Amino acid sequence: MAFTVSEASKRKHSKKEWHKFWLGLAFSSPFIIGFLGLTVFPFIESFYYSLTDYDLFNSPNWVGFQNYLDIFHDDAFYKSIINTMFMAFIGTPVSLIISLLIALLLNMKVKGVSIYRAIYYLPSVIPVVASSILWMWVFNPQYGIIDTFLRAVHLPDPSWFLDPNFTKPALIIMGLWGTGGGALIYLAALQGIPKELYEAASIDGATMWHRFRFITLAALSPITLFQLIMGLIGSFQIFTESFILAGNSAQGGPDQSMLFYAVNLYQEAFVNLHMGYASALAWILFVIVMLITLIIFKTSLRWVYYGGE
Amino acid sequence: MKRKSILVLVSILLILTVITGCSSNSSGESNDKGVVTLNFWYGWAGSEGELMEDLISEFNKTHDKIKVKGLSESDYQKQLTAISGGNPPDIASQFGDAVVPWGVKGAMTPLDDYIKKDNVDLDDFIPGALEQTQYEGKTYAIPIAMHIPMLLYNKDLLKKADLNGPPQTISDLKEYADKLTVVDKSGRIERLGFQATPSVYSMAFAFGGQFWDPDTKEVTPDNEGVKEAVKLGADTWKKYGEKNINRFQSGLGKSFTAQDPFFVGKLAMAIEDEYVPTFIKKYAPKLNYGIAPIPYDENKPDLKNPGDVRTSVFYIPKGASHPDQAWTFLNWLVSKDQMVKFTAGLGNLPTRKSALSDSAYDNIPGFKEYLEYSKSENLHSFPALPISSEYTTELTKEIDAIDRGKLTIDAGLKKVKEEIQPLVKDK
Repeated sequence: MAFTVSEASKRKHSKKEWHKFWLGLAFSSPFIIGFLGLTVFPFIESFYYSLTDYDLFNSPNWVGFQNYLDIFHDDAFYKSIINTMFMAFIGTPVSLIISLLIALLLNMKVKGVSIYRAIYYLPSVIPVVASSILWMWVFNPQYGIIDTFLRAVHLPDPSWFLDPNFTKPALIIMGLWGTGGGALIYLAALQGIPKELYEAASIDGATMWHRFRFITLAALSPITLFQLIMGLIGSFQIFTESFILAGNSAQGGPDQSMLFYAVNLYQEAFVNLHMGYASALAWILFVIVMLITLIIFKTSLRWVYYGGE
Repeated sequence: MKRKSILVLVSILLILTVITGCSSNSSGESNDKGVVTLNFWYGWAGSEGELMEDLISEFNKTHDKIKVKGLSESDYQKQLTAISGGNPPDIASQFGDAVVPWGVKGAMTPLDDYIKKDNVDLDDFIPGALEQTQYEGKTYAIPIAMHIPMLLYNKDLLKKADLNGPPQTISDLKEYADKLTVVDKSGRIERLGFQATPSVYSMAFAFGGQFWDPDTKEVTPDNEGVKEAVKLGADTWKKYGEKNINRFQSGLGKSFTAQDPFFVGKLAMAIEDEYVPTFIKKYAPKLNYGIAPIPYDENKPDLKNPGDVRTSVFYIPKGASHPDQAWTFLNWLVSKDQMVKFTAGLGNLPTRKSALSDSAYDNIPGFKEYLEYSKSENLHSFPALPISSEYTTELTKEIDAIDRGKLTIDAGLKKVKEEIQPLVKDK
């Protein structure tokens, strides 16, 4: 808490130190109690529920690992995993690249750059519910601006949210609208790259591409790691967009192409009242996200550079 | 030292107040005079909620031992949380299709003893509406209002296509739908004669289909009638193509607004509930339309006037603090006078046969036809089963796949059975 353990433990704690300890504890107690009661306890409880048959009303019925076994025979589970993986492994890299490009643009020395920065960040402030409804119209095959444009230049005009093959790409495009937040983080990092590095490289005859590749990208790599992990976790939890765009059916839209993991979990928990099964789904999601994060951390040693050792 | 303990004490006190604030004993308090306060959560909001509040204050005026506190709460999820948390309202409204799934799980108090005690005449209720609230001899809720569908048809468009009067039988319906559909040279649909995906429930009842066999305790999505109903939609999709139907539907306006496809003539015939004529009066007063029975299978004339019933109900949650008083209020709410007042105000249909002829409904557009139709013996609700919600979800899912040509009708409906039947055996 308020003192360093190693030092303090060597000698007897003075009254004053204890005083500080209790005081610190008292002031942080609202958080500690909230964290224990509202996060740690439900976390453990949900693992217990995942081993039971629980419908919210009757007391849970112990079934051991039956829920976990059932999950592996459930079509909806596989469908939702595939849909979610698509968003995670295609959506996240695409949005990372776009936000880096935006950041590079916003880092240029042009007049009124602060206004551009504000404009690019603005969509991130808009709630997902509002932006989803807006994009529903942008993607409308009959009246939407995108298809109107595509038709005008004689390109195929997909049905977007009505065509199972295009729902997820449409969601990814929609997500790009909110990349301003990620761009801002990149921008901050870009401005932290020492100018000397570029100057030295130029003197040594590095081309623009080389400077970008070996200085900019390398210097940004810790940020990329952070954004990649946060982006993946975010994609694994995607829910609201599907819930709104798939209509009140909540079954993931045309051919269940927007049945994401969290949507399936919600359906099982609150519509079908299979709380035990849903808890098991949640734990599997937890393990998947843990594993992926771990793998990325392991491989990150090879491509992330922490400067200034 | 002193100051420390005071600080700790204060923060503990603060936390305790927060915690107790969360789990207050809000559910019903009785004061010295023996007046019991009931908490009542209802799902209606806005002007519909005010209608409910009017009834509540009328009840409070006429009953001095019970005081009802109403709360408009259209998030039904909250009821789940409240009941499982052991702190539910004393009485709440719900949709009929949730009654049996919740009831058999013990979330609702069976009302049979109360019904017997107060001699409530359940025979006065429309059977199709009551069906949804009962399971294995227990009644878990009482329906206050219901929706039933009929066929609305655009008279001008029918006339233009030289069709006289509404379609009577399903063969008529198919023929009409073909004649009324307009497709341009490129295959783009400009008008559909009939909904691309009509309610599978109403249409299954029209074909004499059943979703459940009570004798064998089997779900029967592969039943001939259900199959026919699914085929009706699937044929339309096949005929005009998935892409064209998607495109057509995406360009349609929102239902029950001035842009509703039926209101603007983009749809010539539609199966719609009893509140739709009120919307037509409001948004499309010039629309020249008729109201007709849903067409029936000509080989089965005894299935005339089919349709599916959906209800709104009241129930007493398990763990309610004052179930006896809650019943008194519930029984008062669903008695004829209150039911008429409420449903006529909402523009919904009453669930009591004795209310059907009440003059309160005289001025509601379309109610003459819909009230008459309410007497039909071929109105049913989707079978009330503990697994109803999984069953309807699966049906919607597979019908979507069938319409899109991903599965044959047989394969799709067989899949529904394979998914759902094992769930039945569990219980």
